[in-house]
Amino acid sequence: MAMFILDDASGIGSDDLDTLQAFIDLVIIANDDGVGLDDPVGGLQQVTYNQTETGVPQTRLNDLVNTSFSPDYGGGAQNVDTIIIAGLSGFTLDDGSSFANNGTALAPASSGLAGSSLNTTENCLVIYDTQQNICVARDGTNGDIDLPISNPVVLYHELSHAFRIVNNTLLALTAGCDPSSPEENAAITDENDLRTQIANRQSETPELRDPGIHCGSVGCDSGCCIIATVASKSFSSQQVQYLRSIRDYFVRSKEVGYAFFEQFFRDYYSFSPQVCTIMAGNPDISVHFMEGYINPLLDFWKIMIARSSENLDEFELGDIFLQLHPDRDKAEERLEALQRTSTYWLGAMSSNSEVPAELIALLQERAWPSDHIQWALVKPVHIYYDILVSYLEGADLEEIGHAFNQALESWVPEIPISNIWAALPVDQLLQELEFCHNALLQSKPNKMRFHQRLLKKFNHITSIQTVLNEQTNMAGGI
Amino acid sequence: MIDEIKPDNLKVSVKSMKPIDNELKFMLRLSNQAKQALHYISDVRTTHYDPQSKTLTLCLSDDGREVIPGVMSKLPEFRYIDPESDTEIELRIPNKIVKLSRSAPPGELAFETSKISEAEKVVVELAWADVPYYKDTRDLKDDKRLPAARWQQHKATTSKSFRHRGPKKSK
Repeated sequence: MAMFILDDASGIGSDDLDTLQAFIDLVIIANDDGVGLDDPVGGLQQVTYNQTETGVPQTRLNDLVNTSFSPDYGGGAQNVDTIIIAGLSGFTLDDGSSFANNGTALAPASSGLAGSSLNTTENCLVIYDTQQNICVARDGTNGDIDLPISNPVVLYHELSHAFRIVNNTLLALTAGCDPSSPEENAAITDENDLRTQIANRQSETPELRDPGIHCGSVGCDSGCCIIATVASKSFSSQQVQYLRSIRDYFVRSKEVGYAFFEQFFRDYYSFSPQVCTIMAGNPDISVHFMEGYINPLLDFWKIMIARSSENLDEFELGDIFLQLHPDRDKAEERLEALQRTSTYWLGAMSSNSEVPAELIALLQERAWPSDHIQWALVKPVHIYYDILVSYLEGADLEEIGHAFNQALESWVPEIPISNIWAALPVDQLLQELEFCHNALLQSKPNKMRFHQRLLKKFNHITSIQTVLNEQTNMAGGI
Repeated sequence: MIDEIKPDNLKVSVKSMKPIDNELKFMLRLSNQAKQALHYISDVRTTHYDPQSKTLTLCLSDDGREVIPGVMSKLPEFRYIDPESDTEIELRIPNKIVKLSRSAPPGELAFETSKISEAEKVVVELAWADVPYYKDTRDLKDDKRLPAARWQQHKATTSKSFRHRGPKKSK
């Protein structure tokens, strides 16, 4: 006996665990159908593995599954199995640390190894979050934390620790994450074996993690737009790169922008992975998404960036729109594509049989009710659609620019306001306001409306009241 | 002359607790009574719940956390508060916690689930210092404390009791 997946246990329900995901992750590590699961006994399902593929990850998995480990931690040899606990929602260690967005391998309670005091059993427990959104340091970048990590890679990282725990060869752990400890360096090096193999299977260039840095974050740059990634079939497509640059340029560079994105990511990642799964089963949707949603959204934000970086008059604004649509026939096709996708992305309901009912239900429940999703991803496409229609109906450049500016008045100042505003010191508050004025709001009506909303929301925060009232009282201050 | 920083220069209080979907949302109010900016941790690092006393403890501190193998290390979020000013921060935590059970028979893998939405008392501990956090480049191999635990100088503490209302009566 050596490796099990926890299927049930007293104190929790089987719904609390993600046994199937753990099995899928093992299959991805093995990359063959030699992995099996026995029927549950006492809440545990034993993993079986008949290795057919050669490779470092496969050999490591074979060792862990098909070896009986009897390490001697000082109290005599003892049998130690590895038990995988996947996706246990709300799991908290004895020291109070949450395991959302993380994974760990706990050494047996009596082993005296790191983590053993948090383990209540004499087995090695591999615990990981299967809904994680973790970002780690990319190799060769001197510490850029923009590399996503997938479930199989998280599991394999923890199995690397488990391998050294059951062999009693755990290396030193240190408190800091940069440089990483010898133990984490070894686990990241192992992790890169799997990253390389998975990339090779897909004929892609491996994206490796820096073994010298163990620091990470929740939320990942490369996870900027998972739907654009799936629709364009690449992490590095032009569309995905541009969405990243929009986010970094516009909002994430500032404290309020960062807070906006924190909530945005929370909302966005509550539905986007499922949208991707549905898209994978309905390839036509990806094609519709690109031209009927993602490209219009990108064009909208391109205009917004141009507008924020230069003081454009309405004619110049219209001219930028025209530069993005030099071919009228293609603009007509874009309008047609937008109308096809309006069913599921703009909230317009129809009985369109092209759209899977589960996708509509998902968006109704998770996407549309979110203020952040509405503001950043839905309303801009509405505005773009209206401008495209007026362009195709013959509006001249000045009329297009005027319509764009007017549409912005009902959208820009309604940006969701996070509570971070209340925590900003005065000097930072002024900086953030200045950025919002220049990059987003620009016009006087937009600034006034936004100030009103801030004053109303934070009517008891002195710093906000003082700063905004001072600005309002200054002649032409807004 | 620079005023000496006192352990009670940063005060914290719980303004509200509200259930939202599968989470609990807390609003904390911070008050800096010092004549200089103070730096603090603004995210929950550990959660403890005592089902007997229905007391929930939220620690915005890495003090007491162990170094264990994991897929990554995440530093706390740090913010600062202006001299002699107030501010508010929002915290969100899952409405239940699941822990390995220490009362199960030896060798048995069992868990304890606590609905922390039933908490009647909330204790908050918040780590702060009069200097910002920065990476410590000293050779500290023998120091097992996490970097943010080494950084913190003081801990502001507060508690608040909540009375739970019963279910609404239908009209």
